[in-house]
Amino acid sequence: MSDIKSDLNPGTVNTYDACPGADIAQESPLAWSYLNSGAPAPGPSSRIVMREQAARDHLILRGGAIVIDEAVRQVLGINLPARPQQLTLCDDGVSSLQWLSPDEWLLIVPFGQAYNIELELRAALGDASVAISEVSGGQTLLELSGDADALQQLLMKSVIYDTHPQHFPPGKGVTTVFAKTSLILRRPDDSRWELVVRRSFADYVYRWLLDAGDEFAIGVIRDGAQQGASA
Amino acid sequence: MRQSNRLKQGGRIERSRRLTFTFNGNSYEGYAGDTLASALLANGVDIVNRSFKYSRPRGIVAAGAEEPNAVVQLGSSEPSQVPNVRATQQALYEGLSARSTNGWPNVQRDLMGLIGKLGGKMMPPGFYYKTFMAPASMWLTYERYIRKSAGLGRSPGESDPDIYDHLNRHCDVLVIGAGPAGLTSALVAARSGARVIVCDEQEEMGGSLLASHQALDERPAADWLSDVLAEMEANANVTLLARTTANGYHDHNFVTLHERRTEHLADTAPMVNGRRQARSRLHRVRAGRVIMATGAHERPLVYAGNDIPGNFLAGAISTYIRRYAVVPGNKLVLSTANDDGYRAALDWLDAGREVVAVADARQAPDGALVEAVRSRGVRIIDGAAVIEAHGENRVSSVRVAPIDAAAFRISGEIETLKCDTVASSGGFSPVIHLASHTGSRPSWNDDIIGFIPSLPKGMLAAGSAQGLHELGAVLRDGAAVGAAAVRDLALDAAEVEVPQVASLHESAAMALFQVPHDKPTLRAPKQFVDLQNDVTAAAIELATREGFESIEHVKRYTAMGFGTDQGKLGNINGMAIAARCLGRTIPEVGTTVFRPNYTPVTFGAIVGRHCRELFDPERYTALHQWHVENGAEFEEVGQWKRPWYFPRTAKGKRETMHEAVARECLAVREGVGILDASTLGKIDIQGPDAREFLGRVYTNKWAKLPVGRVRYGLMCKDDGMVMDDGTTSCLAEDHFLMTTSTGGAAAVLEWLELWHQTEWPELDLTMSSVTDHWATMTVTGPKARDLLAELTDIDLDRDAFRFMDWREGKVAGVPARVFRISFTGELAYEINVQARAAMHVWKALFAHGEKYDLTPYGTETMHVLRAEKGFIIAGQDTDGSVTPEDLGMQWAVGYDKPFSWIGKRALTRPDTVRKDRKQLVGLRPKDASVVLEEGAQIVLDPQHAIPMPMVGHVTSSYYSPTLESGFALAVVKGGHERMGETVYLPMADGKVHEAEIVSTIFVDPKGERQNV
Repeated sequence: MSDIKSDLNPGTVNTYDACPGADIAQESPLAWSYLNSGAPAPGPSSRIVMREQAARDHLILRGGAIVIDEAVRQVLGINLPARPQQLTLCDDGVSSLQWLSPDEWLLIVPFGQAYNIELELRAALGDASVAISEVSGGQTLLELSGDADALQQLLMKSVIYDTHPQHFPPGKGVTTVFAKTSLILRRPDDSRWELVVRRSFADYVYRWLLDAGDEFAIGVIRDGAQQGASA
Repeated sequence: MRQSNRLKQGGRIERSRRLTFTFNGNSYEGYAGDTLASALLANGVDIVNRSFKYSRPRGIVAAGAEEPNAVVQLGSSEPSQVPNVRATQQALYEGLSARSTNGWPNVQRDLMGLIGKLGGKMMPPGFYYKTFMAPASMWLTYERYIRKSAGLGRSPGESDPDIYDHLNRHCDVLVIGAGPAGLTSALVAARSGARVIVCDEQEEMGGSLLASHQALDERPAADWLSDVLAEMEANANVTLLARTTANGYHDHNFVTLHERRTEHLADTAPMVNGRRQARSRLHRVRAGRVIMATGAHERPLVYAGNDIPGNFLAGAISTYIRRYAVVPGNKLVLSTANDDGYRAALDWLDAGREVVAVADARQAPDGALVEAVRSRGVRIIDGAAVIEAHGENRVSSVRVAPIDAAAFRISGEIETLKCDTVASSGGFSPVIHLASHTGSRPSWNDDIIGFIPSLPKGMLAAGSAQGLHELGAVLRDGAAVGAAAVRDLALDAAEVEVPQVASLHESAAMALFQVPHDKPTLRAPKQFVDLQNDVTAAAIELATREGFESIEHVKRYTAMGFGTDQGKLGNINGMAIAARCLGRTIPEVGTTVFRPNYTPVTFGAIVGRHCRELFDPERYTALHQWHVENGAEFEEVGQWKRPWYFPRTAKGKRETMHEAVARECLAVREGVGILDASTLGKIDIQGPDAREFLGRVYTNKWAKLPVGRVRYGLMCKDDGMVMDDGTTSCLAEDHFLMTTSTGGAAAVLEWLELWHQTEWPELDLTMSSVTDHWATMTVTGPKARDLLAELTDIDLDRDAFRFMDWREGKVAGVPARVFRISFTGELAYEINVQARAAMHVWKALFAHGEKYDLTPYGTETMHVLRAEKGFIIAGQDTDGSVTPEDLGMQWAVGYDKPFSWIGKRALTRPDTVRKDRKQLVGLRPKDASVVLEEGAQIVLDPQHAIPMPMVGHVTSSYYSPTLESGFALAVVKGGHERMGETVYLPMADGKVHEAEIVSTIFVDPKGERQNV
């Protein structure tokens, strides 16, 4: 296979730090939405607050649970969430690892760390056949917090999955239908819900949440769309 | 006339809250707690509508969903119009405005009524089919007048100002109906710790308890009711939904509930804290167990003149008196075949009005209720029934006669009694609609004289819905069914003390449907079965004589059971009449099938929030804002919004699409253009067997694609037909990046996962979608290299970075992968950067592109440019019936690959090797100014008589500013062997275009321009 290999990429997989530097102007998937649909500031009557956590890198890990578990314990210091629909939060308060399917996990880490973590994981994985794909530019994290009843109602309007506390305790995450699209819905703790939304659908989801959340006077906290990721 | 029929006391109305409303333009008063129907009756309004076919005056008959006549048009303004509201189900509110849905020019003086009277005999079932058959061309004219004279409400002519919601709910037990059975079952389920939803279609929960005489544990029924509701309200696991109708029962215990949240308050939903609230909600409930506690509908008796205002269901009389304190008349005659009917007589007496007589079809009834009425001095005529009511706009007298039901004849002297009101009760039909929605056929039960439900898995029925009758038994049954439901779900059933109810001695009910008349049915005055559709007993008899034996055919021929009431009142009577006429039993005749919805649901509730700008997702690329700000016109590609073209405005004049596209095309052919290609599907494939996998899913070879190179690939379905195409790049030995068409992205990934997971799980690879991660910008044209060189550290030398190579490096300071592939035939670089930095890179390209007149172009120009090169678009030039060989793309098929690939075997089928298959060719119109129509049919001989043999059609067609001519791609039978031949395209306007079959490659046939 020597004719196949080239100096361009001697490894069996291509690892490329495609992260735009901090000096580059970057836009979250909601940059256009804030401009076009507005972002009502939370007020005293707001029972729900929406906030985009743009400054995150996202990685998809696909492969065998046992080898990935060893690697994430070594690199991230956490066990792999091996149970279906399990979500594990890291101590840094930012990173998390979520079961997506029997051989698929979503790893969310602070902005700019995806490449180094991929290299560390690949080093720990050695020859094991595990795929790591960065998807940071392709999705974003929306956080909903506020009054538990209002949040529950808003989710019932939007997703078909059962979000009753008995059925959806903290530490759980699912991929589900949201209005006419799909997204990842997760519950890091009692007071918050998180939506992992694909970039191209983010505006639709945002407009839906503003519309469905209107009766709860939903407010939006903006960390600043422009510097967004470089925060 | 001020509420002349309102009793001084009683009822569940709030007498302190007077409400004014209008009906057909007249103003009336009612009370909070009234329905529109009870308020109309309180005001002595007898005629509420004109009948559908005969235009006869009609009054209120029932008190619930089964009401056939009081169907009104609601709304005081054009946008708030709601058609076909049952007045019996509409709460009264201040300012309510309603009109009859039928009656022209008005219900009191109806022109059509004359026709109905004269034409009654001339309008048998199938009248419209028979009379307006010929000439067929006139049907549209007939139809307009038929619809004007007969029809229900109208839809609003303006946009609905209200908003609507869907709510997804999940529960252990859904209880449908909050009457005595529903409440005891809900109580058991709630106390057992289950998540419970209770819904009820009425304004208040309680069902029959709201108008009951009977004491529960020696207390008024209403007291027990409020205790139970208070307990459930306090339970966080219980959701109580009043004004909520379970309209559809679907597979797997999925039930749709329609909640009317503000319909009892105003025409349009009032604001709450300055914010809009949903007028209606559709609850989409997924339940562990469904308890159908829907009760029973009373059946009226079928006798002559039974549609004259003043004819009521016996139970409705009781409801109006006890719940609304309205007594809708003065002199009552009751015609009944069971004890329950006597309740109406008792209530009538309690209201201080006169009961003229009771005609009981049974011999010597001795039930407790019968004796109670007898003891109050009321005349009871045994073995008799009302055979005919008389009156114009209100009943004025009835004819009562002894009957022999078995022989279906009058058996004695007929006497006439003066009265203004007739109450009838033929028995009770369990409300089994929901159980039938998924196809279960109910079964007839002689003991209860009604159909009982056949229950789908996961559904239970409680109380009257399964034929129980006596209140105590209904309460006990509810508790038992509630316990059974929670035990099904592996919960321990809680103990609930069912309230004690005194048991009444009851004499057996008798099966009576149509009452015999002294004339035969076909000659007797009209005996109505289905009041809403004007179906008479005679019509059903005639239908059976004309050969309609199946009840489904009888239904469609006579229209019995259509309309808003869906046969709730008349269907069982109709079936019984059909059975009598056919000499069969009711179970032999069977029943028609109930379908969702149980009662009409507003479109708003069905649509919910999925309307206007939220009708469908719109997918945007990372560059969307730039496109908007730069005046792009957009095209929908799947759910994506892609720039279609970028019209420029010069000297106040905006370019047409044709002008813009011509300019954009020339910019790419002569200078440099840029396209946002981010919507292309992108799949990251990693694993030692990735290369082998590509060889199996693509038609061409992948074994030797080196790192750094890109290859075009064609994908077939297993039937050998092209499904998608795209380029795939070798990123590393075990790592590939596949691209798919914009529209095919999700389907291709699903398709690949299917084959990997089910057919070749042994192949070690995985796939992830990275479509949204990378933004893709295509810089293309002779000056593309010069422009890109200003912004990148990648060596762009033609030998270092060849056509079909890819390289990594920075573009405008951002790490990028650049692919030298071309969909335009020109020198082209596809720049991929993380979407977050796309806008930065795009703007930098434009900052440097000014001196090159960098021209943004859209999908239309992309289509022209690719078609000039003969590049196909899967789904436009292919339609699922085109093989790679049909496309002339044998070069992209690896016939000798060691492992079979998807579609290979299909390509050797006799049909796929036919010589005369439709093959892709180019078409050059003889007249350069002609742009052929896409889809136009191609013929070889335009003189041939119609129908001409068609040999193909145009798949893509544009005007090429480069060729200065129209041109097209087309599929033509045996087209590859027809180069140079002339074909013809006859158009609908009579013109015939001529075109020459040419190569699909119109520009740069040797491909030199992309290789520069």
